[in-house]
Order: sequence, then structure tokens, then C-alpha cells
Amino acid sequence: MSEVLLHAEQIDKNFGATHAIDHVTLDFYKGEVHALIGENGSGKSTFTSCLTGIYHKDTGTFTLLGKEVHARNQVDGNYQGVAIIVQEIGTLSGLTVAENIFLGKEDEFTRMHVKNTKAMNKRAQELLDSYGFGYIKATDIIDKYNFEDRKLIEIVKATHFKPQILVVDETTTALGEKGRKELFKVMRQTKEDGRCVIFISHDLDEVIEQSDNISVLRDGVLIDTVKSSNVNTDDLKKLMVGREMSNNYYRNDYDEEVSSEVVLKGEHLTVPGEIEDFNIELHKGEIIGIGGLSECGMHEVGKALFGASYDRKGSVTLADGTAINDIKTAIDHSIAYASKDRDNESLVINDTIQDNICLPSLEDIKRNKILHAKDEKAFAEKYAKQMSTKMEGVHQFMSALSGGNKQKVVLARWIGKNSDIIILDSPTRGIDVKVKADIYQMMDHMRKNGKSIIMISEEISELLGMADRIIVMKDGRRSGEFKRSSDLKDTDLIAKMV
Amino acid sequence: MENEKTIAVPLMERPIVRTVMPFAGFIFIVVLFAILTGGQLFTAGNLKLLLSQSYVLLIACVGVFMVMTMGGLDFSQGSMLGVCSVVICFLSNYNIVLAIVCGMLTGGLIGIVNGFFNVKRKITSFIVTICNMYLLRGMVAYATTKSPVYGVSNITDYNSMGFNLTFTLIILIAAFAAFEYTGLGNRLKAIGAGETAARFAGVRVERTKMLVYMAAGMITGLAAFINSIKVGSVTSTAGNQLETQIMIALVLGGMPVNGGAKVKFYNIILGALTYKILTAGLVMLGIEPKTQQLIMGIVFLIMVAVFADRETGMIVK
Repeated sequence: MSEVLLHAEQIDKNFGATHAIDHVTLDFYKGEVHALIGENGSGKSTFTSCLTGIYHKDTGTFTLLGKEVHARNQVDGNYQGVAIIVQEIGTLSGLTVAENIFLGKEDEFTRMHVKNTKAMNKRAQELLDSYGFGYIKATDIIDKYNFEDRKLIEIVKATHFKPQILVVDETTTALGEKGRKELFKVMRQTKEDGRCVIFISHDLDEVIEQSDNISVLRDGVLIDTVKSSNVNTDDLKKLMVGREMSNNYYRNDYDEEVSSEVVLKGEHLTVPGEIEDFNIELHKGEIIGIGGLSECGMHEVGKALFGASYDRKGSVTLADGTAINDIKTAIDHSIAYASKDRDNESLVINDTIQDNICLPSLEDIKRNKILHAKDEKAFAEKYAKQMSTKMEGVHQFMSALSGGNKQKVVLARWIGKNSDIIILDSPTRGIDVKVKADIYQMMDHMRKNGKSIIMISEEISELLGMADRIIVMKDGRRSGEFKRSSDLKDTDLIAKMV
Repeated sequence: MENEKTIAVPLMERPIVRTVMPFAGFIFIVVLFAILTGGQLFTAGNLKLLLSQSYVLLIACVGVFMVMTMGGLDFSQGSMLGVCSVVICFLSNYNIVLAIVCGMLTGGLIGIVNGFFNVKRKITSFIVTICNMYLLRGMVAYATTKSPVYGVSNITDYNSMGFNLTFTLIILIAAFAAFEYTGLGNRLKAIGAGETAARFAGVRVERTKMLVYMAAGMITGLAAFINSIKVGSVTSTAGNQLETQIMIALVLGGMPVNGGAKVKFYNIILGALTYKILTAGLVMLGIEPKTQQLIMGIVFLIMVAVFADRETGMIVK
């Protein structure tokens, strides 16, 4: 094996009582793509965040080419040879493309305390051109570009100075086909130059395909490092979870009859700029999957049915004729909604698990019209435990939980509310295999108990695996519909999406 | 595990500190002034005086407490108290019950105006209520240009410790019950901690906000009644700076300035009492008013720094 580039020695980090990384010692070699995998909350992102200066480690040392890396922040990290591309938007709105690329490095273009904007713009444009993103103009305000392009700009921002270590933190989930290709190209280039990429992803096929070595973390502990060529996804799942995973975690029935009873009807739904004359009928005990490209309007459908859209036209009615026009009415009439935007819409992030689970059910928890604190606690504990949420207790604040556990709290809330119609937008986004399996099992269980589910998802395999019917959307309209069948292929759906 | 906990969480960020600090502060101030005044501050006579000065603040704090829990602020309280007092004193010459009712309605109406601009016009409560502070102060000044507005001659007869204390306690207990046992507190805290998420969990955010601003106004109407029976008349400075007193008191009681999940009802009582003991103590020590302001400013700044919920951020709604 070639020379060690980065040596991590006994890295340790706590968040409150959570031991996020537990004395991890790990080597990264020149010219490798080294994947880090693990369930949500296993410590992958925390590890790389400590390296790149987003967080500060408690103890331990990173040594890059014999020199200790001690990044106080991301820009400082850049100057010490480490860079990161994050999952969320890592660029600042309101600034130009060039300003974003050289954020915190304006001094490089400053002479006698005066910034030479022209030189900075010129340099930025040269870089963009060299990456093949010439259509992006360095002087444009970044808001002009869509999510995908902004991600590409971020790639330039993180890699133009040729960092020794490039961290790619779950970036691919946010990217489309084109963005992925560009990203992989940059990763390959980094590797060929004898530098190193640390690659974090939930997509295990992608991990095996792209990386040379894979390190598995579980609860902050390094479990093993394996060669990608020697493993398959099942081996990895086993390492991540610590037990055998059944290969097929979707439901496996294919010819069940769906009841003809309609529980929710959306007619001529139109939301300007989002959806156009959309119709939907949900039956009792049915799972409808809605799929499409990220911008096709499907996420708005969930909001529209929940009464949460601004300026919605058309009607949403229940079987008994009740019109759903606002959120409160929707919830009171047994409709639940889990948003794709978990941290802003689904959860009050600066509040406790208990308050989040109880909030829609306060009236139900009351005894003789009086709300008792201990009833609230018991209620929250019951449903948090039913979802096997990993927590210190229900008094814990949401912000301390990992993505998968947050989603469990969202689901615990709606199970507690005992809603009959459940709208799930991207229910397994950014969630590891184990929690995913739990969620699918829960959905199957609900369906069998006569609950109806609308699942909006960007994951085609999930749609094929779980839905009785799949509606495909394109440009705000319905472009196709498929019945559940074992013959249905992902290519059939994709054909209707693009 | 226990050991790790103490290393990881900075001292001032621990929940236990947030809980203990205001109580410790209260005890500290009590002991400090007991020593400095040689026990004089806590003679029966002085305690009674102290209590008689606390009613208005205690009552007015209740409304602002609810507004602040939602992440808002209300600077119009002092001037509002002035306007309500004018109405109460003026009408007390005709009928005392009518006076109370109309005092509350006046407060409620002003609250609706605050709420309208905040909720419907989406202007931060900070700006709206500061504007109304000046507007209402102007109204009080106008009503009292020629002479103070006098209440009916026997209005001060109500001013007994028994009446005032009962009146205040009823308001506090009613507010406590509403806050803790009806789900109101949960909803207000949710709005303060994350308005969008609260809306998606079925809280009628706009309606709740309007109601809280209105309720805060009505409660101040009640405080104005106590103020009126104590003084018997209204001058142009009635309720001057009450809004800052309320805010300092609440923060002294351990309330995070930006509201949210960490708000506790006892912040009101603890805060109002701490504030009154602090000011009364400073007066008794013969400290100049200017120096008093300086000291209050420093104390306020320290408490805000300690109790701000940095996770929620300094967002005023």
C-alpha cells in the first residue's frame, strides 16, 4: 500500500452526553478514495467536521504529511490542506459566484488594503472554465443559479486550491445525474494526483463503486476498514448494523385488492408555479406513491392536500364531504403530514421530544379538559418508545438527535395522533438502512390496519417496493400512473419523469 | 458517563444553571440588602410597602410574559397603562364596574392594534409596539394637558392590601391555569421556538398571536385599575417606563428574552419580586437615581447574556 497521507490518532468528541466519536484512529493513504459509512448518528459527519474545522474535537490529533492539522474554521482548514463539500447548501445567497468561491480568502486579491475585485472575478471565471462550467458567470449573483449549479460552484470552491484531503459529505443525495458525474470526475482527479478523498454516502452501491477502501463506524466506534473490491452491500449493511439484515425490507405482496372506498379526494389542484390541475383519489388501506424529479411539483402536492399551500386552487375533500383548506382542519380530520423539510416544518427543533410529540394531540391528552404534565410525559414516552427512538429521555431537545431519530419523533407524533390518512414526503431521506426498514414495516402495518398513505419520494426503489399505485409527475402535472406489479421496472417510471 | 457530561457541557449552558440562577439571584439580593440596610428593608412595614408597589408590575408582567414566550416583545405596555388609567379614572365618576370593563376593553383594543400590525402586516413586534408606545403616550399627554384626570373621590377606598392581593392572586392563578393546564403554554412555546413547525403541527399561529396581544392588553387594563385606585388620578407620566421594568423583571426571573421552550411561569413572580426588592433596596440605601439606572442597566445586561437561548437565536417576531 502507498504512503500514509493523513493519520487520525485517538479522535474523540462529545455532544452533551452523546459520545459522538469514540477514540477513532484511522489512516488515509495517498491516491485513495476512502469511504466512511455507518447509520445516522454513527459519527461519520462529526469525524470529518472535526477534521475540517466545522466542529472542534475534544481530544486526539490529525497529522497531514507529518504536520498537525488544527483547523479553527473551514477557511483555516483550507489553508492547512483540507476541504469539505457538505450535504446542505454551502454557498451564501446575495453574493456573487466569485465572492462565494473565494469566501474568506479575499486577502489573496488584496493589495494595500484594497480588494481587486476584477482580478478575483477573472480568476474565478478561469477556474469555472477549467472545470467545464463555463456557462456559470463569476460576476453573477449566485441566487440566479439553481440548487444543482450552486452545488457545482461549491465543488469549485472546495477543490480549486487542490486540497490534500477532500471530504465529500453526502453530497450526492442532493445532486442529479449531471452533478454526480462532475463530482465523480473531480474525485477521480484528486485521487490521480496522489491526494485523498473521504467520501460519505448512504448509497452503498455508489460507495462500493467509487471508493478503494471503506471504513465502517457504529455509535462513534470504528468497526472495521475493508477493501471495496472484497465486499458487497450486504456485507456492509451487516457491519453497519451489527447483525444480519434481511435483504428485502419492502413489502412482498403483489396481488392484494385495494378497497374501493375513497377516503381523500383532491380535484383540480393548482398552486401557481408548482402544480397544475392535479387530481388524486386515495382509497382506504392504500399506499399511493408519488414520484418524479425533485422539481416536478410532487412535494407541493403533499402540502396542498394538507391545507398548507399558499394560494391553492381546486378542492380537497374527505369521504364525508369535509373540505380541507387549512392545517388545523386537516389534523382535526385525521390527516397527518411529515414534511421533507424536517428541521423547519416537521419539528420544532429547539423544543423537547415530549413537546414535539404532544403538540397536535394536546386536546386528546387532556383529562376532563385539563392537561396534566405527567400525562404528556407518559404519552410522549409511549410513542417515542414504540418507534424505538434513541434518546436520553423525552425531555431531550430535538436539536441533539440525529436525522433518523428526528424522523422517528415525527412519526411517533402522528402515530400518537392516530391519524387515518398519512402523507409522508421523503420519509427516508438521509436515513440509514435500519431506520428505513423500521419505517417500511410501520407503513405496511398501518396499511393493513386500514390507514391510507401517500408517500412522496425521490427514491424509485422505494416507490416500486411500497406503493399500491405510483403516480409519476412532470412539470407540475401527472405524467403517468402505474399499478403495483412485480414486473414494474425503474426504467418504466424514469421514462415518464424526464 | 456522568464524568463526561460535566466536561462536555459548558457551565452556563447547563439546564440546572438556568433553573437555579434566578432563585440564587433572588436569595442573593434578599440577603445582600438585608445586610446592607441592617434588616430595615424587611421590617413588616417596609414589606407591606414593597408589596403594595409590586401589584401593577406583577399583573402587567403576565401579559408580556405570554407575548415574549411567543418570541415577541411589547414596549407599548407603559403607555397602554396610562391610556387605560385615563379611561378608568374618567369612567369611575359614573360607575366603577363600567370603568373596569372599559379599561380592559381599551387595553384589549390596543392589543388588537399591536396584533394587527404584527400578524397581518408582518412588522416585527419590536417596531410596532415602540411606535404605539409613543402614539399612546401622546394620547395620555393630550388627555392630561390641562389637569390630571381625577377618578371618583372614593376610588382610593378600594386600595387595601386585602383587595389588591386577592385581585392580583386571582389574575396570576387564572393565567397560570390557562398557561399550564389548557395547552396554551405548549402552543405559545412552540410558536416561540419554531413558528413554521408549530403551524405544521396544527397550531393556529395567527389567531393565537392576535389573541395573546389582545389578552396582554386586557390584563394591562386590570393593572391600570390597581394603578388608578392607588393614585386616584392620572398624570401624563402614568406608567412611564413600565415596559422596561417588565422586561427587566422577567429577565431577572430567568426568562429567555427570545421566548421558546425554556420559559417557565414562575419567571413572572420571581422576576417581579427580585426587581422590586432590588429597586427598593437601592432607594433605601440612598443611592442616586442616576446611579440606580446605571446599576439596573448592568444587571439587565448580565441577565440577558445568561438567559438568552442561543440555540433559538436572537429573533424578535
